[in-house]
Amino acid sequence: MGKNKALLLLAALAAACLFSLAAGPAGWSNTDVILNLRLPRTLAALAVGAGLGLAGALFQGVLKNPLSDPYILGTSSGATAAAVFCFLAGIERTSPVFFLAVFAGAFGATFLSYWLARLAGRLSDGALVLAGVAVSAFLSALVMLTLTSSRERSFSLFYFVMGGLYTVEPGVLMVSSLIIAAAGAAAMARWRALDAMSLGAENAYHLGISPERERILFFVFACASTSAAVAIGGTIGFVGLMVPHLVRRLTGPSARLLVPAAALGGAAMLTAADAAGRSLFPPSEVPAGVVMALAGAPFFMWLLWKNSRGKN
Amino acid sequence: MPSLKVSGLTFSYGPEPLIKDLSLELRPGDFMCVLGPNGSGKSTLLRLLTGFMKSSSGSVRLAGEEVSSIKPEKLARLAAYVASETATPYDFSVREMVLLGRTARAGFWHGYSAEDAAAAGLAIEETGIKALADRSINTLSTGERQLVFIAQALAQEARLLLLDEPTSHLDLKYKSGLMALLARLAGRGLAVAAVLHEPALAGLGCDKALLFSGGGEYSFGPAAQTLAPARLAAAYGVPENSPLLPK
Repeated sequence: MGKNKALLLLAALAAACLFSLAAGPAGWSNTDVILNLRLPRTLAALAVGAGLGLAGALFQGVLKNPLSDPYILGTSSGATAAAVFCFLAGIERTSPVFFLAVFAGAFGATFLSYWLARLAGRLSDGALVLAGVAVSAFLSALVMLTLTSSRERSFSLFYFVMGGLYTVEPGVLMVSSLIIAAAGAAAMARWRALDAMSLGAENAYHLGISPERERILFFVFACASTSAAVAIGGTIGFVGLMVPHLVRRLTGPSARLLVPAAALGGAAMLTAADAAGRSLFPPSEVPAGVVMALAGAPFFMWLLWKNSRGKN
Repeated sequence: MPSLKVSGLTFSYGPEPLIKDLSLELRPGDFMCVLGPNGSGKSTLLRLLTGFMKSSSGSVRLAGEEVSSIKPEKLARLAAYVASETATPYDFSVREMVLLGRTARAGFWHGYSAEDAAAAGLAIEETGIKALADRSINTLSTGERQLVFIAQALAQEARLLLLDEPTSHLDLKYKSGLMALLARLAGRGLAVAAVLHEPALAGLGCDKALLFSGGGEYSFGPAAQTLAPARLAAAYGVPENSPLLPK
């Protein structure tokens, strides 16, 4: 990646931050609003976006599947379901138990999708997406069932499930940011293994990589990062899907630059999406998850079309 | 010391053994072709030889060590394997692809060294793909892409090179060029084993042959005897005077 392309990415990130700090009815006039409301929210959007972008790049590499991301594989739904159960069980959002449970939900759902897709024989791109859809749909239904049958606190939980950054708890933001940074650093240190995996398990093995071990490791990194993002902002889709495809145009496919760039790109994208959600129909807010779905679903359709065309 | 020593290797997917009590030895400088009808175990054998698949009984020793107990990282420095087809959705350049052959030698997180670049450059030179070095592998023809993966295997600097149907999608010119390259590598002291689809290709430099004839039956030996027309005809189930068999 040339210097100019790195600058382009950083400029996009800076622009997204400025947009987010300025977005709202009060504009730039009220310093208090900027510092106490918009700044924490911008930081939250940066962390969530980085976590999801990172997870997307890791999944797409380790599964050799350009259609994968934490939303489509069911990772986010697993984390969300675990988070909702924790809220209802009265577990503190900053306690280690909460983060462990959310991680377990994410990892369990991801592995279930992967295992289901493998049952179909050779792991194909399409089978993985289908398995992910089935797992997410089931988990989402479970969450909705729980929310509608319990009368308590369900309004704020509905917003959490929808995916948004209304309320930022500093403690959660801090722990999640640390988890995402650690997962990102661990993944970046193994960029060579991720590149080998993106050629498929057989090629990776013969290049000197243990595919089973790397699959587990990268699932752990991606699930940790996704679950930390979900702990802050609930289910937000398509960041992990879109960002790696976009930044690959700048960095090329090698994980060495792609992984850090996907984290930065994800941070920029979600920050911009959240700010856009606040500016579209003031004074009401469009949740960042809805903004991302509006942009991401057509992108996914385009990707499916491109992918199927490439095979014929 | 032989590069590769297989003894009593047996493997089956179902109740019937696909590979039965197979023994062979490959030494530096040997160029072995593996022939036989479809589904007779040729590709499976190569995967057993690298430990990517595990056999039910028997032993495969690579440089004196049982292959199943060698760590992948060390294995990749001893043996290189080229699959019949490898595809990736991502647009790696040819040079990046060949450099990936250095994975087991380049250490973990830092970039490639000058030594890695030199080994990759040599492999690119050797396979004659220098003009393609900056292209995305997804823009290449099947034949060109096959050469890229052979270059990747060469960059591993392993002493044993295994290839699964390296010629299957290639036209005549590529086929003969590829066989010449493999013969040249064997001449330089590598042990080479290649699964081939057409017996005639074995005439382009193979000195040893392994011929499967289905049901786990096989013969192994010098290419000239093992691939005598009568044996080939019996293995493939075609008449001895078939124009498809080499004269």
